[in-house]
Amino acid sequence: MRPVRPRTAWKGLLVLAVVAVITVWAGFGVQVDVGALIKNFSNAADKVVLLAQPDYGFFPETLSALAQTLQMAVIATAAGAAIGLPLSFLASRVTDPSRPLVAVVRSVLNVVRSVPDLLYAAILVTIVGTGALSGVIALVLFNVGIVVKLISEAIDAVDRGPLEAALATGATWVRADRAAVLPQILPVYASQTLYVLELNVRASTVIGLVGGGGLGILIDQVRTFYRYHQLSLIILEILVVVVLLEAASSWLRKRLVS
Amino acid sequence: MTSTGDRAADITFRGVGVSYPGGVRGLQDIDLRIPAGEMVAVVGLSGAGKSTLVRTINGLVPITEGEIVVGDRHLPASRGRELRELRSEIGMVFQSFNLARRARVIDNVLMGRLHTAPTWRTLLGAWSRDDVELAMQALERVGIVDKAYVKAGNLSGGQQQRVAIARTLAQQPKIVLADEPVASLDPPTSHTVMRDLERINAELGITVVINLHFLDLARRYGRRLIGLRGGRIVFDGTGEEADEQVFADIYGRSLTGEDVLEARAQL
Amino acid sequence: MSAAAPPVRGKQGPDTDIRARPVLVRPARPRRPGARLVFLAVTAVVVLAFWSVDIDWSQLAGFPANLLRYLGLMFLPPDLSTLPSAFEATVLSVQMAWLGTVLGIVISLPLSFLATAGVGPAWVRWPLRGLFSLLRAVPEVVIAVLILSVTGLTAFTGALAIAVGSVGTLGKWGYEAMEGAERGPSEAVRAAGGSTAQMLRWGMWPSVQPEVLAFWLYRFEINVRASAILGLIGAGGIGKVLADNVQFRIWDAVGTLLIVVVVVTVVIDLVSGALRRKIITGAWR
Repeated sequence: MRPVRPRTAWKGLLVLAVVAVITVWAGFGVQVDVGALIKNFSNAADKVVLLAQPDYGFFPETLSALAQTLQMAVIATAAGAAIGLPLSFLASRVTDPSRPLVAVVRSVLNVVRSVPDLLYAAILVTIVGTGALSGVIALVLFNVGIVVKLISEAIDAVDRGPLEAALATGATWVRADRAAVLPQILPVYASQTLYVLELNVRASTVIGLVGGGGLGILIDQVRTFYRYHQLSLIILEILVVVVLLEAASSWLRKRLVS
Repeated sequence: MTSTGDRAADITFRGVGVSYPGGVRGLQDIDLRIPAGEMVAVVGLSGAGKSTLVRTINGLVPITEGEIVVGDRHLPASRGRELRELRSEIGMVFQSFNLARRARVIDNVLMGRLHTAPTWRTLLGAWSRDDVELAMQALERVGIVDKAYVKAGNLSGGQQQRVAIARTLAQQPKIVLADEPVASLDPPTSHTVMRDLERINAELGITVVINLHFLDLARRYGRRLIGLRGGRIVFDGTGEEADEQVFADIYGRSLTGEDVLEARAQL
Repeated sequence: MSAAAPPVRGKQGPDTDIRARPVLVRPARPRRPGARLVFLAVTAVVVLAFWSVDIDWSQLAGFPANLLRYLGLMFLPPDLSTLPSAFEATVLSVQMAWLGTVLGIVISLPLSFLATAGVGPAWVRWPLRGLFSLLRAVPEVVIAVLILSVTGLTAFTGALAIAVGSVGTLGKWGYEAMEGAERGPSEAVRAAGGSTAQMLRWGMWPSVQPEVLAFWLYRFEINVRASAILGLIGAGGIGKVLADNVQFRIWDAVGTLLIVVVVVTVVIDLVSGALRRKIITGAWR
């Protein structure tokens, strides 16, 4: 007996239709205008030519901003990782005996993480003034969110045996966590800290666009004055720094995990 | 299912050799003729070149010396579209079934129609009524039409292999190649699958070339046996002619329980 | 001789059995010069960064009080009368993210097919992979600045920037998924005389489809954040409204905007995350 063909095709069509409707709606929302786009692009041919010719003579002037970008990334990573570690222990059911505390820490950090770093920076710039400090604080806020998410997930997956053994000796939770759980997650912690450093180098190159210090400030300046050949040099620098750092970081992380 | 009398094709190997990059030789000096409608079992140790031999027939393994003629098509001269046409006339059954597990059984069988159906239909999955009918008939022939709308991954190994056979039948092939079709199956299921292959040979006149590790299966289902050793043909004859001495030649040692399906089943 | 005897420690007290056991030598504490070196180097880099950076750390002293004051200005109470306009701006940001994601998918899908080993020829594959890593290395905002500085600032060009920024990750994830797919079905399609396009559709697509759909959704989540950021540099949407209100120091409106950003982002993450789980595991939860 041949089976009756199940009518499941409408499900796929429905999903497709919903996606199409949302896309058309989004298209109207952002006012898709291909004609204007093409016109702009043809008007912009000379800009593209400038962009294709980086002004290498500008390099010395970018050095201090480049250094500041790296400093901000390192500082924010160190601070974010340091603050994030104890919070991660509070955010995992394995290491934190208080369920309400776990819930509070997790939801606060979910909220913190849902705001992009540049939005923090835009607000902090008016509170603490333009410059590297507002950028660093914005990055730290964002980093704490990421570190706690990644590390508390690692703690959740940890072998509970040693922790039970430590508690059975009469240790307090803090001491038991320190002795039985921390050693298990250290490699993951180190590896994720490097990952956060990668994120921070990218973010700190652009955080200056809203006044947060580093290369971004320079980007904003040369953009305002239409110096495209300098803009392309800065982008080239970002590319080189990010690629080098990622290569180094992924090499180190492979060694850490194995 | 259409009659295959006019579709049959002989397979001829002339001085065929295969060497892989790095100098490893897969096949050497193969001269062989498989007339249309034959059921041939290829036996030998693993590494003797059985899979390579079978895969040269549809060009999945390119030959580096000599020539193969299938019907009126020549390898390695056929490429691109012509090679795909050749392949569409040859069905293939694999050891590991090679089904798209997350697709439904019927979609897997319809892969046999990929060459014939218009491209837009195949890409959208909008198969014509005729193609679906053909796929259903193929499933009926191997006796699992009731699973047509089940995801292939949810079937047992034996059922999956029968879907794979149905996929080759949907191609309406002149030839079916089977590369260790029962190596992943238990003994009773092995016999079911072998009988399916035997039936399509007898009823549809399709040439069937099967690689087998197990000698008892080869002797029972293959009316002609080809023994390979070190990439060369060391035996070519009927099952009756293949005595203990012949098998010792092919295998380079006397038989053990590992080489016989029924014996292994009892282990 | 009892091999199972534990190492003897001198301070265990007058254990009567102690002389019956073999005397074991305490091992020297192992030294790991490599690890120590790495630790010192990392510390040095961090200290150097803190010490050399152009930041007046004393400013931090007043920061907590300051932060509390501003949080008060923003949220005690937020100006809920701006809620409708905040929501409208957020919708524009989400539309930007959606359109950017869809365009990114449309561009990246064929490219990632071509970048898959065994599909595209090597001279197409390697340049494409290079392009993907290039696009991933540059932060989206920089890509946006580039596009925006050429074509001007609109929500549409913002969506384009998001699309281009998505192509790098989507392309890479795509070809990696397809190379990770089992080869068998593709071989079967080839053996049945199928073309390359048919091999992709029936040999590879069925096994990578759930994974790829999940990638798309995940990328949309990322793009929602990216589109808010693009607003800050002028592409419109919630980011622009937020930047304007910060500039004019209308803090109670900023509070409302932040609430809307958090709620919308969290809701989108929840819905998208649930969909991804459904796609991958086949069940809701």
